[in-house]
Amino acid sequence: MGHPTTVVPLGKRLLPVVVSVTLLLPLLFAGTALAADLSLSSKTYLRYYERDLAGDEDTLAPLYEYLSADATNLGGMPVAFHFYGWGRVDLADPSTSDNKQSWELGSAYLEYLHPQGNAQAKLGRFFLTEGAAMETLDGAFVKATTPVGLGVSVYGGAPVEQSILAGTKVGSGLYGGRVFFAKAGFVELGASYLNENGTFQEGKDRELYGGDLWLRVAPSVDLTAQATYNRSVREMARQRYAVRIVPGPTFDISAGYESYTYKGLFQSTLNPAFVSPALDNNDEVQTIFGIVDWAFAPGWTLEVAGKHITHDKSDPGDADRGEVGVRYSYNDKKDVAGIVAAFVAADREENEYREFRGFATYSPEKIRLALDALTQHYQREIHGEKNAYQVVASAGYQVLSMLQLSGDLTYTKSPTYDEDYAALLRATLELGTTTGGKK
Amino acid sequence: MTRRMSFSAVFGAALIALLFGCSAVSQTPSVPPKHPEDLPQGRVDCLECHENVSAGTLKPYGTIRHSRVFIDSHGTYARQGQNLCASCHAPAFCQTCHARKEEMKPNTKMGDRPDRMAPHRGDYLITHRIDGRLDPGSCFRCHGNKNDVRCRQCHK
Repeated sequence: MGHPTTVVPLGKRLLPVVVSVTLLLPLLFAGTALAADLSLSSKTYLRYYERDLAGDEDTLAPLYEYLSADATNLGGMPVAFHFYGWGRVDLADPSTSDNKQSWELGSAYLEYLHPQGNAQAKLGRFFLTEGAAMETLDGAFVKATTPVGLGVSVYGGAPVEQSILAGTKVGSGLYGGRVFFAKAGFVELGASYLNENGTFQEGKDRELYGGDLWLRVAPSVDLTAQATYNRSVREMARQRYAVRIVPGPTFDISAGYESYTYKGLFQSTLNPAFVSPALDNNDEVQTIFGIVDWAFAPGWTLEVAGKHITHDKSDPGDADRGEVGVRYSYNDKKDVAGIVAAFVAADREENEYREFRGFATYSPEKIRLALDALTQHYQREIHGEKNAYQVVASAGYQVLSMLQLSGDLTYTKSPTYDEDYAALLRATLELGTTTGGKK
Repeated sequence: MTRRMSFSAVFGAALIALLFGCSAVSQTPSVPPKHPEDLPQGRVDCLECHENVSAGTLKPYGTIRHSRVFIDSHGTYARQGQNLCASCHAPAFCQTCHARKEEMKPNTKMGDRPDRMAPHRGDYLITHRIDGRLDPGSCFRCHGNKNDVRCRQCHK
C-alpha cells in the first residue's frame, strides 16, 4: 500500500477557527452558566492484540478516548452547546499505517432549539441530514416552521471531507436548503437543493435536487419516499419508497423498493472505493425489501427480513438476502438472548454465504455478563478457508453510579485471522447535572 | 441572470424571509427536547407509558417502538426533526455509528451490548467484500458517499 496523498480540505484549515469559536461562544453565557444543565460522557478503551504481517509480528495496544459533552439550557434559554470527539494514542506499535496517534473532532456546535421544536439553528461543526444533504459541515444551519405548516431550512459552510486521490480537490464550500409543508401527525412533504463548489463528477460542482415525503394514510399505515437527482451527471441518484404498517404495539411490518445508480449516488472522485475497476460505475441497482417484527408472546420477538437485489451488470450479478431471528428479553428487560440465521444466495458463487449467531446477556445487581458467538460459511473458499468463527465474552461491573468498568475477550478464526485473540478494557464515566433520561 | 445567481438569490430571499418570519414560528405543541424523568436500564419500551403519542410529534405511532423495522428506517424519522429523538438520545449518540472518521467498528466499541444491532460483526474485512459488492448503497447510509476515512485505509 502506498502512502496517501494528502489533500488538505478547507474544513481542516478552518478547524482551529471552528474549535476556537465553538469553545468561546458558550462563554457569552458564562454569567448565567450556573443555569445550564451539563452532562459529560467519557468512554476510554484500551485494546490489546497482535498482528502477524508479512512475518513481522506487531503487538498493538491502542488507547482510545471518546468524549462528548452537552451544556443545555444555557443562560436559562433554549440554547445548548454540544461536543463530540475522540483520540487514539498507541502504547505499543502503530495500529494504523499512518502514525501512532489520530483524532477527530466529530462535532462542536452551538444550538438553538425552539421549545416546541418548531425552529432550530446550529453554528459550528455538526452532522447534518436535511433533504438531499447528509454532510459534516463547518458552518451554520437554520430551520423554522410557520403556523400554517410551511417551513424552510437553509445551511452553508465548508464541507468536512478528504480525498486520497492525487490532484483531487475537495469541496471549497457547500450550501443548500429545503422548503417543506408539515402537518403534525399527518404529512411532511419537502423539496431540497444542495450545491457544493468543486471539481466533482465531470469537473462540475456537486448539485443535488431532493424530494421527500412522509404520509400517514391511515392511523397505522405510513408511506415514506425519498428521491435524489444528481444534476451534475443528469440522472437519478437514488429513489426509495416504503410502506410501514404498525397495527399495534406487538406487530410492525415494512416493505418497499429502492434503486440507485453508481454514477449518480457515489462521488467517485472522493471515494476511490467506487472507482473502476473496483466497481463498474455504470451499474444500477434495484432492491425490493421487506421486514417483519412481531412480539408474539410476552418477552419474545420474531424478526424476519428479506431483500432481493438486482444489478444491471452480470458482475456482481443478482442476489437474495434473508434473515430470521428470535430474541427473548428478561430480568425486567435489562437482559436479552437471541439467535439469528441469515443467508445470501447469489448468481455468482463468490457472493454466497450463510451466517448463524447466538447471544445472551446476564445482569445480576451491579455485574453485567455477555456472550456473543457468530459463524459464517462461504460458498467459495477465501484464502483456502470456507468458514469463519468469532466469540466475544464480556464482563462488567458498575463501580459507582457514574462509573462502569468492563472488559471483552474476542476469539476470531477466519480467512483473515488464523487464531486471533484480542482484549479490550473499557471505562465509562457519565457525569451530569441534568434531570431526565439520556441514552 | 446566470443559474448560480438565481440560486443565490433564492437562497438569500429564503434566509431573509426566515429571519423576518421568526415571530411567526409555529407554536404547535411538540415533545420537549429532554425526557422529564429518568429512564430505566436496558431496552426501553416507550409504549408502556406512551400509548398514543402521535399528536403533535409529526411522528407515527411506531416511531417510538424501536423494532427491527424502525431501526432499518430510522434515518427517515430522524430527518423530520430531532426533538423526539433528542428527548432520550444525546446528540453524540448518532455519531457512535455515523462518524466521519472512525477506527473501531461499532460492535467492537459495544462488545458488551450484543443485544444492540451494531453492524459489522465477526471478520467483516471478508464479509464487506460481498456485502459491498452486492449493495454498496447500503454502505452509503452510514458511511456517506464521499468522505469516509475508514475506506481509505485500503481503497487507495
